[in-house]
Amino acid sequence: MRLVAENLSRSFGRRAFGPVSFSVEAGRVLGVAGENGSGKTTLLKTLAGLIRPSGGRARIFFEGEDAGDGCEPRDVPWRIGWAAPDLALYGELTAEENMIFFERVRGLVPTPGRARALLEGVGLPPDSHSKKPLSSLSTGQRQRVKLAFATLHEPDLLFLDEPGANLDEAGRSIVQKVVAEQRLRGITVIASNDPRDLALADERVTLS
Amino acid sequence: MSAPRPAAGILPAAIAVFRRELLAEWRTRVAVNSLFLFAFAVLVLVAYAVGPTRLSPEDRPTVNAVLLWIVLFFSAMTGLSRTFVHEEDAGTAAALRLSAPPSGVLLGKLLANVALLGAVTVFIVPLFVVLMGFEIMDPPLFVLLLLLGTFGLASASTFTAALVSKASAKGALFAVLAIPLLLPPLVGAVLATRVAATEADFSAGTDFVRLLVAYDGVVTTAAFLLFDAVWRE
Amino acid sequence: MQAVKSLGFLLKALLGIGMAAICWGAFLYARPAQSFVGESSRIVFFHVPMAWVSTLAFFIAAWHSAVYLKKRRIESDDAAAGAARLGFVFCVLATVTGSIFARVMWNSYWNWDPRETSIVLLLLVYGAYLGLRGALDDPERRATLSAAYALVAVVTVPFLTFAVPRMYQSLHPDTVINARGKVEMSADIRTVFFSSMVAFMGLFYWMWNLDRRVSRIVRERAA
Repeated sequence: MRLVAENLSRSFGRRAFGPVSFSVEAGRVLGVAGENGSGKTTLLKTLAGLIRPSGGRARIFFEGEDAGDGCEPRDVPWRIGWAAPDLALYGELTAEENMIFFERVRGLVPTPGRARALLEGVGLPPDSHSKKPLSSLSTGQRQRVKLAFATLHEPDLLFLDEPGANLDEAGRSIVQKVVAEQRLRGITVIASNDPRDLALADERVTLS
Repeated sequence: MSAPRPAAGILPAAIAVFRRELLAEWRTRVAVNSLFLFAFAVLVLVAYAVGPTRLSPEDRPTVNAVLLWIVLFFSAMTGLSRTFVHEEDAGTAAALRLSAPPSGVLLGKLLANVALLGAVTVFIVPLFVVLMGFEIMDPPLFVLLLLLGTFGLASASTFTAALVSKASAKGALFAVLAIPLLLPPLVGAVLATRVAATEADFSAGTDFVRLLVAYDGVVTTAAFLLFDAVWRE
Repeated sequence: MQAVKSLGFLLKALLGIGMAAICWGAFLYARPAQSFVGESSRIVFFHVPMAWVSTLAFFIAAWHSAVYLKKRRIESDDAAAGAARLGFVFCVLATVTGSIFARVMWNSYWNWDPRETSIVLLLLVYGAYLGLRGALDDPERRATLSAAYALVAVVTVPFLTFAVPRMYQSLHPDTVINARGKVEMSADIRTVFFSSMVAFMGLFYWMWNLDRRVSRIVRERAA
């Protein structure tokens, strides 16, 4: 599997990022660096298929299928996981209900222990994920739930925007664990200004 | 690497979205409160200001039909935009966009809005009939009109809500965008309600029933065809 | 390129002369039609073409909206938005001229005649469409959402023609081609009327082209 960006750019009236070109192979981690306002978040959203590119294109090539031209990220949402500061989950629901909801809309059959195991995997104590609504959790705890959301469906491509933000040391080690697991599954792209996040990457793209 | 999975089915996703909407609504009661309170407040105002006695018998069917649909229309305008507007405001839209098939999202939210507006209709119409002394000669036609009209209102409003949720000045824009789309069926529904109030013969209203069925079908189809472009831009 | 330019100039000159000729024809050549109060029938040379152009512009805007959603080229959005802006202006003019005619003919500016109702709905649609555009900043988002709205409007608005005619008897004079399927106008009125239809469509096309060029220049300046 390979993720390829060719002269990818996006503008909202004025330029947001790009054009950038790069290629990432399965098992690798790409870091996206750049100062505030350089378009890291927009690039990640474009790669995740949440935003249409203004110019150029992003392509995903999977082994055995679509070998010719690859496919666009927006056509394969079930292969993509995404977590970002401007992602929010449903505050009226508990973390567990959130996970079960997203399993259902993705067409997965929710098994009782799976959501719980996933949430425990990102270090949430049981009483905070099954009893309290998400809106009453702390920012750091919600960041952990986002990591669980992004990996819920075992995506081939995982996009993490500022994954270490608001996390304590234990939380950061969970990010490391998530990235290590994703290496076995496919591609990871991390956008951050924090050297500790970028240290997880094998390759780097810097936006200006 | 995980095995390739097909995209999620529309129906399971729609059911999940519908259940989540109702659960969230049950816990917060924001839309229910605003809809019911608004409808009730307007009804009280209308019943007090107009009432059953101040209308001459020949004016009663027309004025009551108009007032009833005005109450239902503006109730829809106060509450039905929330499904999408809250999703964008709270920032949950991206998670849903990434996880669920677009048609499933629209279907789930449409069903939730139909349920919500249906509940308001069930609550407000009997009160309206009693407080306004609104005599219905043809109850089956009246009920059918309410069903079709409510569905049309919910359908056009849900799609409009998806549009305005991405714009600034959402509240003001919602009614501005919805009124031109809803004027034709509302005019039809008002005229047909007057027919239901004055004539016991069901066949007198069939033209309007056909109009509403056709409208509901067309606006719902158009909404489903265009929703992907709106939802994922 | 030179040939295209001179052709454009020729057409513009022709349009200007044509519009002037229609003003002359409308007030000096054509005789007032029978069964109309005084000189009021002369308004047909302006009112009907404006109403027609505003309806046509609505469908042109919807067509280019559909093309935008298919091809995602911003030029289609310029075309749709331009048609809607001009359609709105023509719609206002048609409403005002119609209202003046109604005052002269029926002694009341507004009667909620079916035609008056439909043109108000068209005004509301144009207003809503332009309002939606005004509330969106990102050009691509604006193009997508307003295109979707234009397409939903184009399929729902015609339902009014099914709902409304049952309301009242129309006071409005026969449409151009009446129920018997014939054009019943005297020769002088007919000549001026159809020339005016052609000239107003030409005027619309010229202004629409200007609008699209302005949109393109504004966008290129901003980039």
